[in-house]
Amino acid sequence: MGILGAGPVTQAIHLPSLARLRDILEVRHIMDVDPAVAESVAARVGARFSSSMEELLADPAVEIVAICSPHQFHATQVIAACRAGKKAVLCEKPFAMNGEEAAAIAAVSAETGVPIVVGAMHTFDPGWLAAESAWGTLPDQVHTIRSSIVLPPNPRFEDFATEIVGRTPPPAAAAAGTPADDAAADIAAAKATLTGGIMGLAIHDLPLVRRFAPDFRAVEVLHAQTVQPFGYVISLRAGAVAIELRAAMNGTWEPSWTFEAIGDDATLSIDFTPSYVQAGSATARIRTAGSTTVLGPYGHNGYEGEWRKLAELARGTGAAPDPDTLIHDLEFALAIADAAAACVDAGAAAYEEARA
Amino acid sequence: MTTPLRTRPLGVQAAPVAEQTGAVGAVVASLPVSFAPAGSRPDVVALAGTAGWTDAATDAVSRGVRGVVVIDPVAEDPSALAAAAAEAGTAVVLDQAWAGNPVLEDSVGAARTAVAEALADAVLLDSVAWGRPGTDPEVLLTRHLAAVLACGVELAGLRVIQRNANGYTVIGSLPGGAPAALQGITSSSVPATATVSVLTFTGRADITLPDSSAGWPAEIRSVTSAGATAFPTIYESAHRHSWRRLRAAVDSGTPAADLERFAALTALLGQLHDSPH
Repeated sequence: MGILGAGPVTQAIHLPSLARLRDILEVRHIMDVDPAVAESVAARVGARFSSSMEELLADPAVEIVAICSPHQFHATQVIAACRAGKKAVLCEKPFAMNGEEAAAIAAVSAETGVPIVVGAMHTFDPGWLAAESAWGTLPDQVHTIRSSIVLPPNPRFEDFATEIVGRTPPPAAAAAGTPADDAAADIAAAKATLTGGIMGLAIHDLPLVRRFAPDFRAVEVLHAQTVQPFGYVISLRAGAVAIELRAAMNGTWEPSWTFEAIGDDATLSIDFTPSYVQAGSATARIRTAGSTTVLGPYGHNGYEGEWRKLAELARGTGAAPDPDTLIHDLEFALAIADAAAACVDAGAAAYEEARA
Repeated sequence: MTTPLRTRPLGVQAAPVAEQTGAVGAVVASLPVSFAPAGSRPDVVALAGTAGWTDAATDAVSRGVRGVVVIDPVAEDPSALAAAAAEAGTAVVLDQAWAGNPVLEDSVGAARTAVAEALADAVLLDSVAWGRPGTDPEVLLTRHLAAVLACGVELAGLRVIQRNANGYTVIGSLPGGAPAALQGITSSSVPATATVSVLTFTGRADITLPDSSAGWPAEIRSVTSAGATAFPTIYESAHRHSWRRLRAAVDSGTPAADLERFAALTALLGQLHDSPH
């Protein structure tokens, strides 16, 4: 294993997961643009360190590359890892920032034969996978989907998982400007929150949503609003399926992460465990009138599931994820993010029109 | 609790649809000191809250009954009925599936206090109402809004974001400006429950209001920085609680505030408009 990017996700999520899989995976190289962070994190696992992607990709001891860098570097690094002849690549979501990048990645993956796994951890969660095996014809009847995420600030769980080095402090609040500046800043902040919320938080569940929304290209955002201190209320529909997304990252100690797919006479409800900590898998419930089938919890979470899948692929066993699925997942998320931002603009325009 | 010895139970007569939807016979049987089945001259009547219920209830008031229970009323202007009932001194109680749950009664302070404290620090209200397939979304929304208001929530700027045969989404805001999202969903896989969740900066309050067809208790849970609290359960259905309220109103001569509250609900529903989408 070589890991590009040694921030809190690598430190608190991936290394603790890999520590449970020492019989199948070994971390051999850590890269971070901050050499001190790279050295410190690498020392935890007895790996080499560097501050350049090229150095890590040139390391013959690295057979699998995990890309945990900021979003904007993902596409370039995935393509470079494929061209470097590695056995498999894991890329944190989102694996690209637009459809063109995604298509380029898929083409390089096809050309080089290097399988790519996108870190949509809930799709690898044993609770989700068990539900998928058991839900039968549920997708044919789902008319409503709900995703609800309530989480404490990340550091609460990061600090239960490891000892973080190089944590970036939160940005300071902007100074007040003129009313016009403030209005424009509010709009920009709302759009940034929605885009960040969709591409950083909702995106965990959007591949799940898409399993029950076959007309994903017909997605239409009907309402998008921010929630304090960080979160969103988004209503959308994809064809005949109504989709409601809720999220609040507040100061609570109690995480709650649920996904529901609802049909006329059956419902899937999944409670996911929080990220960062090793709290086992999700628990899925498939309900019909008078009956509830409970699946899980199992002993590991979706992050560990990702790594197990990656090890299979590197050994040449197991089927690689369909690149089209990864591209469609990304297109779905980008379409929602763009439309949510447009909702903010439309709301601001309506407000100005009402004032005129 | 000891039931006071009364001179005689009030005779009850239920219209067939009311008997079915309100489980009137079973409920009356569980209050044998307060009520008994009546013959041709009932003291109190049970009516179905289908379209035209305000006229039917006004007719019952004019016939001289001492009390009226309306099961699951649809949105209608109750002002004429309220005036007639006040003049005749007739008690009118609305038996609403979720709003009538005993846990939301004014005298049961725990739920309302938990919600009120959460609302003071709210960042989001997220509420879901479940109905059986085929439930008219307008009927479901009436029950739903009644439940949210009965929790002590004030809503403003409500608009319908989407609605179809499978449910609806209504968005509004709380007094402090935080968003409020109400979603109605139809499915036979989930009992006809309603949830009201108020997320705050540091925790949340959740109320789950059960199907009124049995005595399942409402669940109330509050999360603050100090921990989580579950409130005492009350194993009494909204139906039975409504009949107990009716008997109390008849005995005391103090009218229930149901019609006044329902007028506020009807006004709020009347202000609802569809989003441009």
